[in-house]
Amino acid sequence: MIYYLTTILVYGGVDAIACLGLSQQFGVAGVTNFGFIIFQAAGAYTAGVLSLPNQSANGGFQSYVGGLGLPWPIPWIGAAIVGGLLALPFASLVGKRLRGDFAAIGLLVTAVMFNLLVTNYRPFLNGAAGLSLVPSPLGGVVDPLSGGYQFGYGIVAIVLAALVYLFLRRVTNSPYGRTLRAMRDNDVVADSLGKNLRSLRTSMLVLGGAIAGLSGGVLVGFINLWDPQAWGYAETIVLFAAVIIGGLGNHSGAVLGAILVPLGFEEASRYIPSIGPAGLIPALQWVAIGLLIVLFLWFRPQGILPERRRKLATAGVPAGPVVLPGAGAADELPDVPTLPPPPVVARHPGASAARGEIVLEAHDLARIFEGVRAVDGVTIAIQRGRLTGLIGPNGAGKSTTLAMLAGTLLPSEGRILYAGEDITGLPAYLRARKGLVRTFQLASEFKKLTVIENLVSAVPGQQGDSFRGAVLGKRYWGAQERQNVERAEHMLERFGLSAHADRYAGDLSGGQRRLVELMRSLMAEPQVLLLDEPMAGVHPRLARQIGHQLLALCAEGMTIVMVEHELSIMDEFCDPVIVMAEGRVLAEGTMAELRGRSEVVEAYLVG
Amino acid sequence: MRPGGTGRKATSSLSIFESSVAFGLITSAVLAIASVGFTLQFAVTNVLNLAYGAVMIAAAFAAYAVNQAGVTIWVAALAAAAVGSVLSLFLNRVIYTPFQRRKTSPIALVIVALGMTLILEFGTQAIAGPTNVSYTMAQGPMLQVGGFALSAAEIAMIGLSLVIMAFVHVLIRYTRLGKAMRATAANRDLARNCGIRTDRVVTVTWIITGALCGIAGAVFGMNAGTFGATSTDVFLVLILAAVFLGGPGEPYGAMLGALVIGVATEVSAAFIVPDYKDVIAFVILLTMLAVRPTGLLGART
Repeated sequence: MIYYLTTILVYGGVDAIACLGLSQQFGVAGVTNFGFIIFQAAGAYTAGVLSLPNQSANGGFQSYVGGLGLPWPIPWIGAAIVGGLLALPFASLVGKRLRGDFAAIGLLVTAVMFNLLVTNYRPFLNGAAGLSLVPSPLGGVVDPLSGGYQFGYGIVAIVLAALVYLFLRRVTNSPYGRTLRAMRDNDVVADSLGKNLRSLRTSMLVLGGAIAGLSGGVLVGFINLWDPQAWGYAETIVLFAAVIIGGLGNHSGAVLGAILVPLGFEEASRYIPSIGPAGLIPALQWVAIGLLIVLFLWFRPQGILPERRRKLATAGVPAGPVVLPGAGAADELPDVPTLPPPPVVARHPGASAARGEIVLEAHDLARIFEGVRAVDGVTIAIQRGRLTGLIGPNGAGKSTTLAMLAGTLLPSEGRILYAGEDITGLPAYLRARKGLVRTFQLASEFKKLTVIENLVSAVPGQQGDSFRGAVLGKRYWGAQERQNVERAEHMLERFGLSAHADRYAGDLSGGQRRLVELMRSLMAEPQVLLLDEPMAGVHPRLARQIGHQLLALCAEGMTIVMVEHELSIMDEFCDPVIVMAEGRVLAEGTMAELRGRSEVVEAYLVG
Repeated sequence: MRPGGTGRKATSSLSIFESSVAFGLITSAVLAIASVGFTLQFAVTNVLNLAYGAVMIAAAFAAYAVNQAGVTIWVAALAAAAVGSVLSLFLNRVIYTPFQRRKTSPIALVIVALGMTLILEFGTQAIAGPTNVSYTMAQGPMLQVGGFALSAAEIAMIGLSLVIMAFVHVLIRYTRLGKAMRATAANRDLARNCGIRTDRVVTVTWIITGALCGIAGAVFGMNAGTFGATSTDVFLVLILAAVFLGGPGEPYGAMLGALVIGVATEVSAAFIVPDYKDVIAFVILLTMLAVRPTGLLGART
């Protein structure tokens, strides 16, 4: 009985640790690592060969590298370190802009291949037979077979799981955790707001790998053996099932999932009478896990314990009917006055430079998609402090040009200069950090972040927005976070969205989401703001008010380039206006001038 | 592994290289049938159907049941085709399409496909039992074909594969359905707006590719000698390697990929260590994913 109980404690602890690692990687950061199980395996093997004596001591019945005979806790520490280090080469697979499912296949296949290699190459880790007789930690001091030792082992496993839980909660609840969730919801947008995706994903792979490695080390010290059958690719699916069923993005859910799926299935099988032919029950267990995955993803994709909504707003929500400025009928619109725009924090010395000077230039910019020159030799110069309009018929290359200026797309040809510096090859996140920020034509809010989280996530230079800062804790970043939240609240007030501060951005109407995106880009403290149809879906009256706000921002030294179809907006706010057609710049001037030019009228301004 | 394999080396004067190429051609023949089906499914629905290997093995067991009843495996393969069609159609209509309509992310669809893999594979095992089985079939006399020594059954497998490739070629090049399939693959919305009944095209495609998948399962069973419910796990990697080498969604690419992967694995088995013969397929797949995920023949960016 005591043995049974301790086994449950150890397996529960180990499964919980592994599921927490996967929850952080997949649930919080959206890094899909279908090779997750090999990190647990690496930890188990590492702990094994670190604690086993030299292979010659085995009389040749098993062969392996290492065999250092090191005392506990070195094998456990080694397991975590090797698990983490093994993640580094994988970063190249998930760091690329590879289709998510393709990258997933790559990792799955890598896991299968590792298993094949270890199974077939005996000298490395004793091949298919695996390691056995792995010494128990402190086995020389305490009798590993005693009930007290086994129970103690179970307690240690549970305590470790609790520590991992607390650590990951600390990381996830920090500004860094918010950035991870933003990346999960929309990586391209996070990139455009100055988040370094490669570094974030690599960190999560290493952290998850180290946690998985630790779980393997703890497990192998208890069961004293480890072979390739223990880490078939299907075991990864079991862990994914646990995290999905427990609740993606919720660490308590991961623990619950660990108890229900890997542990629950293992234990349930003890009580099922072995009916039918041999192997029937194990086969049906796998069928049940498959069914659980598919049914949960269909009926309850958020899992048993859904991700917790994090409330940041401090100000009281104004009473009375909720007003939806972006979507509501005209008579319900709040009267948004043309308030003074948010003060732009001058982060760059150039901010105060003279208005009208060229701040952003493109020379002969071209982008070729499958032989089609979507943008074909665009040369433009954007003046500081102006609200420049960019118009043209569909397919003219406006959005592509904007994407190249922001670094979302790299140009096939041409050069881009920003404040005199050549940034043609600079990645988007570094451009954002220099103050060149864009918005997107399609909805691009971080869906599972609240409105105010969306805004705060864009603030550059947050103390808590690094792994180190997150680990240092709220005492380190809390004060600055309060300031940022306050700033976001002012912004929400200005745009009349205060009542929605703590709602998921994904639940808002189309027009409201446009506003969130605009506010978020302003929170990023841009020098040059590239807006792709910011008024689309926004009520015309509100659109005009936004226009006034943008003009006010320009008066303070911000530079804005705006793609827009609504010509009345262009008429009223934009000067100069650049007309594009068929990938080229057709004309540039004020709207009045453009209306007088026949080729422009023919291409676009008909009617 | 392969029935008659060792005897052949002793009796023939072929070099190791030539005989490994002969092995490779047989593997390629099986792989081609499977890969073309997989890649066409991806082309019309944009789904990486990782449950493909599980459908193959379920179909192979269906053929085994018919074969055990005294029917020759060449006829029993038709049962495999039928089971493959039904299961594939089920996967597409009942599982993948509803998830796609909900805008489930491609990653979540991969997880769904893996869940379906577990269900089909271990459902098959629950019915058929955990022990490996073999078809009752005759290998026939050894024949010399173009310098290679092959058994009559092996030649028949290669012949069947060639017939199927010719069928696929005629289907996609010269029939209205093939044209509709290509249009659907290129741009489903546009195809629908042009009056093509894309839902029906997708359904018919999955019926046909499901049959290919089933036949591939039966031929896989013949070639493997013995097989169990999880035998196609590694073979699925070979399929993926062939598909990604040629470019996902490119039927001719899959044919080329199958030829290269089949021969490459067997030749490497002869010259390195047989245990690692599949590793070259893994390496090719990972290289393609990392360097050129659109494949050698794929143009899409």
